[in-house]
Amino acid sequence: MKHTQNRIITIAKKEVLHIIHDPRSLIIIFILPVIQLLLFGYALDLEIKNVDLAVVDFSKGNYSDKLIDQFEGSEFFHVFFYDGRIEDLEKLFLTRKARAILIINQDFDKEIQFAVSTPVQIIIDAADPNAGTLIRNYCTQVIAGYNQKINIQMPEPLMVESNIRYNPDMQSSYFFVPGILALLLVMICALLTSVTITREKELGTMEQILVSPIKPLEIILGKVLPYIGISILIGLLVLLIGIFVFDVPFRGSYLLLLCLTTLYIITSLSLGLMISTFTSTQQVAMMFAQSATLLPTVFLSGFIFPISSMPQLLQIISYIVPAKYFLVIVRGIILKGNSLLQLLQPTVILGLMSIILLTNAFRRFRLNLEE
Amino acid sequence: MRQILFMMNKEFKQIFRTREMVAIIFFLPIIQMAILGFAITNEVKNIKLLISDHDKSFESRKLILGFRYSERFQLIGYENSNSSITEAIHNWSSQMGLVIPKDFGKDLYRNLNPEVQIIIDGIDGNTAGIALGYAQGIINRFTLDHLNRPMDMKAVYAFQSAGIEERMWYNLNLNSAQYMVPGLVVVLLTVISMMLSAMSLVREKEIGTLEQLIVTPLRKYQLLLGKLFPFLILTFVEMVIIINAAKIIFSIEFVGSQPLLATLASLYLFTTLGLGIFISTITSTQQQAMFLAWFFMVFMLLMSGFLIPIENMPAFLQKITYLNPMRYFIYITRDIFQKGSNVQYLKIDILPMTIYGILIFWGSVLKFHKRID
Repeated sequence: MKHTQNRIITIAKKEVLHIIHDPRSLIIIFILPVIQLLLFGYALDLEIKNVDLAVVDFSKGNYSDKLIDQFEGSEFFHVFFYDGRIEDLEKLFLTRKARAILIINQDFDKEIQFAVSTPVQIIIDAADPNAGTLIRNYCTQVIAGYNQKINIQMPEPLMVESNIRYNPDMQSSYFFVPGILALLLVMICALLTSVTITREKELGTMEQILVSPIKPLEIILGKVLPYIGISILIGLLVLLIGIFVFDVPFRGSYLLLLCLTTLYIITSLSLGLMISTFTSTQQVAMMFAQSATLLPTVFLSGFIFPISSMPQLLQIISYIVPAKYFLVIVRGIILKGNSLLQLLQPTVILGLMSIILLTNAFRRFRLNLEE
Repeated sequence: MRQILFMMNKEFKQIFRTREMVAIIFFLPIIQMAILGFAITNEVKNIKLLISDHDKSFESRKLILGFRYSERFQLIGYENSNSSITEAIHNWSSQMGLVIPKDFGKDLYRNLNPEVQIIIDGIDGNTAGIALGYAQGIINRFTLDHLNRPMDMKAVYAFQSAGIEERMWYNLNLNSAQYMVPGLVVVLLTVISMMLSAMSLVREKEIGTLEQLIVTPLRKYQLLLGKLFPFLILTFVEMVIIINAAKIIFSIEFVGSQPLLATLASLYLFTTLGLGIFISTITSTQQQAMFLAWFFMVFMLLMSGFLIPIENMPAFLQKITYLNPMRYFIYITRDIFQKGSNVQYLKIDILPMTIYGILIFWGSVLKFHKRID
């Protein structure tokens, strides 16, 4: 037992030396999360503002003026008048001068005083369908405001009170800080482990280790230990930035978060090990690890897009993405102050995943060595 | 010329020798595209809804019916108290609660403005906002129905109102794949050309075969061309596969000119291949190269408008995006795909992209020395 421990520590030391020997990679490993967090933090805002709206007003009356004022007064739109030829309207979109065009008919002023509802035409550049939908919703809001204004006595029979829990200002940082934590940990763990082991294979140094009296299990443990340390440090860095720069509140237990994060790190490392057992070059291992971690974690975990809105098949695939469970855990602990009991299901699933991945990786690793 | 061909031949053999690599280059992008095309949507569906109806009148049931028939919401049950709804939200079993007060129906007719409460899990601020919007829409329709009930018909006719007739150009069905796939084409082009070329050059260094290449009579430019051309060809093959697969899987349209896109893509590839060479000159192991390539990738991706619209960013970040060659190519590809734009409209993007490409490529080639330190 004593020997095993010593040997694991020796391998871990060798790995640490490898890492320190290459300060550039180390710096990148630590700077990348910071930059990613800051960029996401300041850039990730799906709310659109200052939409350029071109107005073509054929009516030029009192009512149409008021309507245009209403658009100008809203913070969503930046209004300007278009006085070119009507056939060239599309140029506004092609040159990206406008995202939407409001066309008010000649008879608008007359009609609105008599008809039930008088239409105005709005053409939206819906190349980006999300932006298109948002712009349409804004238009509906502005028009509703306008209708309120010109009919002061219009009743509002029903009131709605909304109670937004945990995040009353609907800040996106509450959402993406845990998300980035999940993403970075899985990427760093899976990428690093998969590459370090294939590296020894590719360079032929694995054989040198094999002729030494070290057992496969000890090699793996020794190689993986330093990365657990690095990962926890990075996790800490992300959390500190989240809490101090983006004011994310921390409502749960630090100890619980540390334990469950370690569990997630182990799952991710096992994934990396698993990948390293069936790849022979670093290039392949890297591409594989990248595709197995980056895209699924960003898109199939609920990091940005809610899983329940996806097609059935993707929802099923999302069950094998570890980050899906970890996100519930992190968000639950940090933002809702959940206890272990409330997070039992995702915790158990992550544990099972680690066990399955690890036993498989060991088995295949042995087979690999015997060849 | 013959030397370059030999070199290319060697490269191709090296790429295709690794079976897994071939799979990664050709199948992974298609799988990724399929996932992305379906997963990226800002539509929110199946919001888990709990209802607490303290009124149980005809009116309250009518309001509930509006929520039940919407595919946005998935009614998972009824609760008796607010606290059980907040508890369900706390335990992740529900996302939203609708509380209808006692005497809701009666108050509605007595014009007492009853108040409906919506409790929502705000952790995902974006989804919460969209869900609130949907709920508001359903409630508005209910209100309108209430106002329009036969006995009050006169009242409604007394109001003047404007309505909207909307036209959604370029993407009638609001298909998000139509928008995401062009962006994805750019991302994949970047990954393959930059990462693979960087790693393949460094690999020769790490394994020691670069020395063997250096002692051959190949000149520097022959060595680089022979290295890069195969990746250029692969990238183009990849592009054709992805675009056609996207057409089949998502039935998206390609409005513009394909030769134009191909020409501009080759201009863009100067940038990515240049970065690939640059990375390989300043690193000595594949791991380092991988991290540096990552560093560039993440920065380029986030600042390109691929996921986060540039117009939504704060002003100083918007300025930074002008430094990003990928930004221009994303605009170009999307416009050619969806709007069928021609050079006249795209020149504002083509010009900076080309300048960046030439500068980066030239600088990197100068920095690449055919010797070993």
